[in-house]
Amino acid sequence: MTRKSRGRQKIEMTRMSKESNLLVTFSKRRSGLFKKASELCTLCSAEIAIIVFSPGKKVFSFGHPCVESIVNRYLMKNSTPSSSTLQLMEAHRNASVRELNMQLTNMLSQLEAEKQCGEELSKIRKASQGTCWWEAPINEIGLQELEQLKAAMEELKKNVANEDGEAHWGGVKLFAGCSWGVEF
Amino acid sequence: MTRKKVKLAFITNDSARKATFKKRKKGLMKKVSELSTLCGIDTCAIIYSPYESQPEVWPDTRGVHRVLAQFKRMPEMEQSKKMVNQESFIRQRIAKASEQLKKQHKENREKEITQVMYQCLTGKGLQNLMMADLNDLGWLIDQNLKEIYKRIDELKKTAPPPPPPRPPPEAPQVTTGNLHLLQEQKPAVGLTMDAMQRPQWFTDWMNNPSDHQQMNSFGHGDEMMLSFTDNNHNTMWSNAFFP
Repeated sequence: MTRKSRGRQKIEMTRMSKESNLLVTFSKRRSGLFKKASELCTLCSAEIAIIVFSPGKKVFSFGHPCVESIVNRYLMKNSTPSSSTLQLMEAHRNASVRELNMQLTNMLSQLEAEKQCGEELSKIRKASQGTCWWEAPINEIGLQELEQLKAAMEELKKNVANEDGEAHWGGVKLFAGCSWGVEF
Repeated sequence: MTRKKVKLAFITNDSARKATFKKRKKGLMKKVSELSTLCGIDTCAIIYSPYESQPEVWPDTRGVHRVLAQFKRMPEMEQSKKMVNQESFIRQRIAKASEQLKKQHKENREKEITQVMYQCLTGKGLQNLMMADLNDLGWLIDQNLKEIYKRIDELKKTAPPPPPPRPPPEAPQVTTGNLHLLQEQKPAVGLTMDAMQRPQWFTDWMNNPSDHQQMNSFGHGDEMMLSFTDNNHNTMWSNAFFP
């Protein structure tokens, strides 16, 4: 089975040979690594710092509560009891992180719902393409049928124009303010 | 590996939390190691937990010191450019998810309006559509027509001159501008559109512009509205079209 990506395939644990693949892999895996670290912090109240140098010698870092405090704590090796001010600050920070995580969760489930919606719509379209030749991609339709489709479309266009013209929203220009059309 | 979706919040159950910590910490270290190997880069991780006073690190004490020294040698600006903490990182994730949501929503909208277009081509009325839908529908029709014209041109250029055409039964009706109703049941030959199959009510409607006045009934009583404009259309609008 040919696959578009290597996800869920076993990959050999040696340095990647192809430079372009290496860069893509770095980008994706670094992002995924930070995501996992973030989740560990949220789920288990861990405090983490990760420092990553890119193939291009840039440095990425993730830290909770922040990279600096973790690094200093590690290098100093002494567990200084945090002052009440620091504790308060941390409490504030944790509260906003909680808030953000909720926002993120919300957004992700909306995204999931839209994706499902999209799949349903695609399924419907595929199903009707069996009986409706005009729903096929335009490149697959024969000339004579295309002419018919053209005529039908032009007719429909007129009807839509009439419909628009008679709507209550007097003076609205045809096809102006299309909600997504122009952005395609 | 759990198949249940884990809620992105602090795990209140102590034993569950400890178990999760153990597993995920191990997994995280593995990922750090893989990243380093696969991409041939320097990296280190430091993990403090409520369960141990000493942090757990990767690769080892020496390796961590080496990377930290390398890190500190860099100019401050370079250090902080790609530095994130929980707050900034999660904000980034939210922004990205928001972008993806917008894109997906647009795609879905186009698919929906495409369905509407095909329904209208086969005879469903336009009266239940809201203004925004009509606008989008008109736009989509134009896009499709552009493609159709282009394709027809291509085919005419590359195809050999057609043999004397057998007169298509519908030809006279096409030129007089009556709506060429596309049928859902594909006829055996695929080209003949029997005029008798066209629902009479539709032909009447088409031929009586005065009746169109009735169509200004957006939001009337129990007519079914296609409400594409709100975000909660997980319920497929297709309910309106598939009786």
